[in-house]
Amino acid sequence: MTFKAWMIAALIAWSGTAVAQPAEDRQITFGKEIFKSKATCQYCHRWDGNGDQGYGGLALSLRKTQLTHDQLIETIRCGRPGTGMPYHDQFSYTDKRCYGSDRAELGDQIPPQAVNFLAPREIAAVVAFLEAHIIGRGPATLEDCVYFWGTETRECDSFRK
Amino acid sequence: MNRLLASTFAGLLATTTAILPARAGDMTYERAVNANSETSNWLLHHKDYAAHRYSALNAINTGNVKDLHVAFAVGLGGTESGGKYAFGDLEGTPIVEDGMMYVTDGWGRVYKIDVTSGTHGTILWKMDPGIDRAWAGDVACCGVNNRGVALWKDKIVSATLDGRLIVMRKDTGEVVSDRQIADPAIGETITLAPLVIRDIAIVGAAGGEFGMRGYIDGTDLNTGKQVWRTYTIPAKGEPGSETWKGDTNPAAHGGGSVWETGTYDPATDTMYWGTGNPGPDYDPEFRPGDNLWTDSVLAMEPATGKVKWAFQYTPNDPFDYDEISEHPLVDAIIHGQPRKLVIHAARNGFFYEFDRTTGQFINGKQYTDNNNWTPGLDPETGKPANYDPKKDVQPYSAEAGRTRAHPVGKTCTAHVGGKNWEPSSYNPDLHLLYVGSIEGCDQITTKEQPKFAADGGTVKPREQFTGGGSRYVEKPVGSLKAIDVLTGEVVAKLAQPYPNYAGTLATGGGLVFTGLIDGKFSAHDAKTLQELWSFNVGTGINAPPISYAVNGKQYVAVLVGSRQAAAIFGAHPELKNTATASMLFVFGL
Repeated sequence: MTFKAWMIAALIAWSGTAVAQPAEDRQITFGKEIFKSKATCQYCHRWDGNGDQGYGGLALSLRKTQLTHDQLIETIRCGRPGTGMPYHDQFSYTDKRCYGSDRAELGDQIPPQAVNFLAPREIAAVVAFLEAHIIGRGPATLEDCVYFWGTETRECDSFRK
Repeated sequence: MNRLLASTFAGLLATTTAILPARAGDMTYERAVNANSETSNWLLHHKDYAAHRYSALNAINTGNVKDLHVAFAVGLGGTESGGKYAFGDLEGTPIVEDGMMYVTDGWGRVYKIDVTSGTHGTILWKMDPGIDRAWAGDVACCGVNNRGVALWKDKIVSATLDGRLIVMRKDTGEVVSDRQIADPAIGETITLAPLVIRDIAIVGAAGGEFGMRGYIDGTDLNTGKQVWRTYTIPAKGEPGSETWKGDTNPAAHGGGSVWETGTYDPATDTMYWGTGNPGPDYDPEFRPGDNLWTDSVLAMEPATGKVKWAFQYTPNDPFDYDEISEHPLVDAIIHGQPRKLVIHAARNGFFYEFDRTTGQFINGKQYTDNNNWTPGLDPETGKPANYDPKKDVQPYSAEAGRTRAHPVGKTCTAHVGGKNWEPSSYNPDLHLLYVGSIEGCDQITTKEQPKFAADGGTVKPREQFTGGGSRYVEKPVGSLKAIDVLTGEVVAKLAQPYPNYAGTLATGGGLVFTGLIDGKFSAHDAKTLQELWSFNVGTGINAPPISYAVNGKQYVAVLVGSRQAAAIFGAHPELKNTATASMLFVFGL
């Protein structure tokens, strides 16, 4: 390899490592977008995950949740019976995969169906986002807001005052 | 041909068809007042200032509607995500003038569509207001919506979710003025179509779930400047402020939003606007008192915004019974007396009639299937029969009433209605009002509402301010009903499998058109409501239909494309795989 060829190869390798997003970060970003748009978790939980009230029911604060990793996955997959938290696995309650119960057993306690169902990798990504940016955090900051919404909106103006 | 001659000519032809020659020209006050004389056009949001949404066109009628078919469809935009919403909806009423149609998508883009061919629609221009979707969408309580435009001179007037009033050229779509009216920074948005009276464009702001103070606002279109603003909640010390007890700052956060277009009586130069729920929605102990002028109708002067009279439907409302929807104007003989009425199919489940000159209550009856919050209306006052003016917090009924100590109640009619914003239509020959309604009950839970941070609490601007939440506990369904305005009685009804979010159109062909969230668009006999024809557009319908004619042929048009909330899918799992779209459908023979 000539020096010139070596330099080009080195530059390509360097630029690749400089711009590539680690797989873990990609999963978190993927989860954020699902939380924001595809599953619109933020409709009830707010963008900062701090919970809300009103037209989606009384959504709990995810910043204060005590749920474990596995419980988070199960809750997103299966929803929460008797509440407004929807299930995102489209086959929930067709058998006993969720809480050992099917539709007949739950009756009117069956949770609502999500507007969009999620694949297992999508649910894992949402949980990765929650664990990285929401759960156990204090009140949301300007940095949190800009991370979620970007800089091309006035959405975070209230943090700048 | 001048308009007088045109009207005379039309009268001669009325026995066979009501189609008039189209005419070009600027939109004037006189044309607006006489909008029904231009039978081929749909010039105003509610068809006429009286909100009859009645097209006299009769070429499509009970005898031939079975042959109605799709003439053409046009794909629109506006399905992008923004704020807390994954997509925009279509709730707009098209405006048609001389073969040119003006429609909006949920994000406030205006489309001018040439529909003269009858075989296809050609989009001539689009005006994109460039909304900050995250910022505005995050404080839209109930979807990304825009309900349409208004005509003024040679311009089009529209409002945007992020609170602007935009005036554009009718020929090119070029924006000529852009005034910021509502402020999403404090939870305000605009979703309605402007009401233009003479040279003033009148709009209201939504945001009752975000602790805003409602208002109606007039803009001089010649200058682009505000000429008046009338708040629906009195300031401290103003008349009515005594109906807000406590120290919770209603003059900043009392609600009373305005988000559907008002009506107007040229004879008395009076307009009628409905107002929304008090804030917070579900915690009436936060705001002891009647909470004037939430859940009300306001009769107002268009030039000044001065209120002539007002009536409140549900004092100290704990149920979120917005009464923002249209208040049609009807002349009828009631109890043997000729009356000039303003009427209203209310979200609280009752149909009301008032003398529109004095505000005197005349008649009121339940029109929804189930009601448990009050046994009826006081025949003298029109107030709920169990309203107690001596109480600061109204318990209403034991089953529906709630307190912080006993926070859960079953509410019938559900908090969403009854008839929500979806417009009714009125057939003047049959004196029937056609109401697309929601039927069923829901469960509301009160949660003590903290004050805003500026008032010593914890709530920040743009945060929800509802004092609790609601959920369906039984399957919500819908209905199409015909109310006889002479008696207030429901004289025909048709159960529908889904909540009716589309409203209705009445026509001179003896028909009523409506749509449903499963995509079914249907025509019904105006006397019996029997279904005579239907077509499924393949995506939910949340918008009211219109009718127009071009080149001598009648058409029926409707915007389609909606996707429902998780609660609706939970109740109606057969809809779970439906998708949103953004389309104009036009039907003809």
